[in-house]
Amino acid sequence: MHSELKQVIIVYKKNKLAVVAFFIAVILMILAIIGPYISPHDPLEISHTNRFEEGFWDGNTEHILGTDNLGRDIFSRILHGTRISLSVGYAVIAITAVVGLFIGLISGYFGGVVDIVIMRFIDILLAFPPLLLALVIAATLGTGLDRAMLAIAIIYIPSLARIVRGSVLTVKEMPYVEASIAMGGGKLWIIMGHVLPNVLTPVIVYLTLLLGDAILYTAALGFLGVGIDPSSPEWGAMLSGGKDYMILGKWWITLFPGIMIFLAVLSFNLFGDGLREAVDSKLRL
Amino acid sequence: MALYKYFIKRLALTIPTLLGVSIIVFLLIHMIPGDPIDIMVGDRISAEARLALEERLGFDQPLHVQYWQWFTNALQGDLGISIRSNQPVIQEILNRLPATIELTLVALFIAVLFGIIFGVSAARHRNTIIDQSMIGFSLLGVSIPIFWLGMMLIMLFSVLLGWLPVSGRLSMGTAIPSITGLYLFDALITGHFEAFIDALKHLLMPAFSLATVSLALIVRVTRSSMLDVLSEDYIRTARAKGLREGKVVYVHALKNALIPVVTVIGLQLAKLMGGAILTETVFSWPGIGRLLINAIGFRDYPVVQGVVLFVAFAFIFINIIVDLLYAYLDPRIRYE
Repeated sequence: MHSELKQVIIVYKKNKLAVVAFFIAVILMILAIIGPYISPHDPLEISHTNRFEEGFWDGNTEHILGTDNLGRDIFSRILHGTRISLSVGYAVIAITAVVGLFIGLISGYFGGVVDIVIMRFIDILLAFPPLLLALVIAATLGTGLDRAMLAIAIIYIPSLARIVRGSVLTVKEMPYVEASIAMGGGKLWIIMGHVLPNVLTPVIVYLTLLLGDAILYTAALGFLGVGIDPSSPEWGAMLSGGKDYMILGKWWITLFPGIMIFLAVLSFNLFGDGLREAVDSKLRL
Repeated sequence: MALYKYFIKRLALTIPTLLGVSIIVFLLIHMIPGDPIDIMVGDRISAEARLALEERLGFDQPLHVQYWQWFTNALQGDLGISIRSNQPVIQEILNRLPATIELTLVALFIAVLFGIIFGVSAARHRNTIIDQSMIGFSLLGVSIPIFWLGMMLIMLFSVLLGWLPVSGRLSMGTAIPSITGLYLFDALITGHFEAFIDALKHLLMPAFSLATVSLALIVRVTRSSMLDVLSEDYIRTARAKGLREGKVVYVHALKNALIPVVTVIGLQLAKLMGGAILTETVFSWPGIGRLLINAIGFRDYPVVQGVVLFVAFAFIFINIIVDLLYAYLDPRIRYE
């Protein structure tokens, strides 16, 4: 096990871009944890005397990235936003993993009518354009980060369930599973002890590739003002708030949150790509 | 299997999906926590008006009766009445449909044209600065939030340089006789060239930002597919015959390299339909995406249901057409 992990790390390290992406991703994760403690201002504090202040390029040391139309400190909002985006992203992964694995295992292992019903339902969910599905679910559930997480996870659950089901169908026929059945192993024991560990690799790869995407969808919901409170320091919501002031030349309100979204999505995507390549190369060996 | 038989089989397989999609869309309005009528109109209306609305929406009927009524009406093109505008929902959709179609088609055109050109030139100049910059571009392109890109384009081309308009489809005072509702097309066939240029100026930024992600993916796929094909024996033969490099690349190699590219292009339509919601919001483009977002904001649920059903059905049928196209291009698919 350890040598396999070592092998993956060796291959991953060869991809310089992926290494840089990994460090940016780690920095973002650290910011998500400590951000709220080091942020100089309250991200929600409205100050009518400080509206549209320019940032460091104008010699502003109090609000280094400037302030928005309500006088809120953009730097502090971005720091808080890091926590929001990353925690929604991880929550989406966790929900997708648990529900997708559960559905895929049941469908693949038991087969028959259960499998047919589940797979039909999954086909129906996949018939919607992803953003539309998330948007409508978020609109139905109402505003709140917990609900936005659910709405975004629903985009990925069907695909993951399909991947898991496919792997289960292969693993089910393996001699060690047959042996376990012959030894009188219970269904739960076989699923948890033999099938699950052997379908985990494609699941992990899929989940890593999903993080950047999930962060992008979170920002999209925030930007559209559906499911995410427009006043919260979510990056997409900040873009939406600054949109109308752009034509007045107040570019800093939208520039910085956008850079953060871009950076987060890019680094998690590169990290996921690098990891997939490394794992694939290990599988080939 | 003949193509028409494949088509019928494919269509028959779609029926359960269509039913399922319609049930989900229908149930949405009933999944809203609390009383849907309260949420939609609150206490803005009198008790009688409320009862009338309840009856109009069929909320006094059992759920399955409501569904069947709604579904059969929808199949006949009746998606109900908008609560906000009192217009038939289908009318609202059809009014805005051409704007979205125009935006999506132009974006697809940009993505395909430049995607293939960039991809081929990256493959031809492998490991040079051209190749590197194309790889870099496609890397950035798939991760950039298109709504932010759209805003930055506005900042640059509208606010700073003043070259392109910020929003809408046409300038005030410009009119195009409506034939198809696709302004570029209508302006061309009626000979309104100034209006054509005006519509084009309005369309450039929205279409470009919508195209970005698909463009980046097409570059990536074209490049790798082209690299595979260029190393094949028949390409070496073509070169050995003394054919011009341009002819080898664009006639011999490109034809075969395009097969995986066509698959990716088919998948892009779904992305573009979702992306249009974001792009239309950035550029105040009066299409279906705006209609949906406004309807969500006003809790105009008949419109929300109508648009979602319409788009989901359109999406399913586009996928069938794309499948048919593959079956035509690659007969092996029909036997699977």
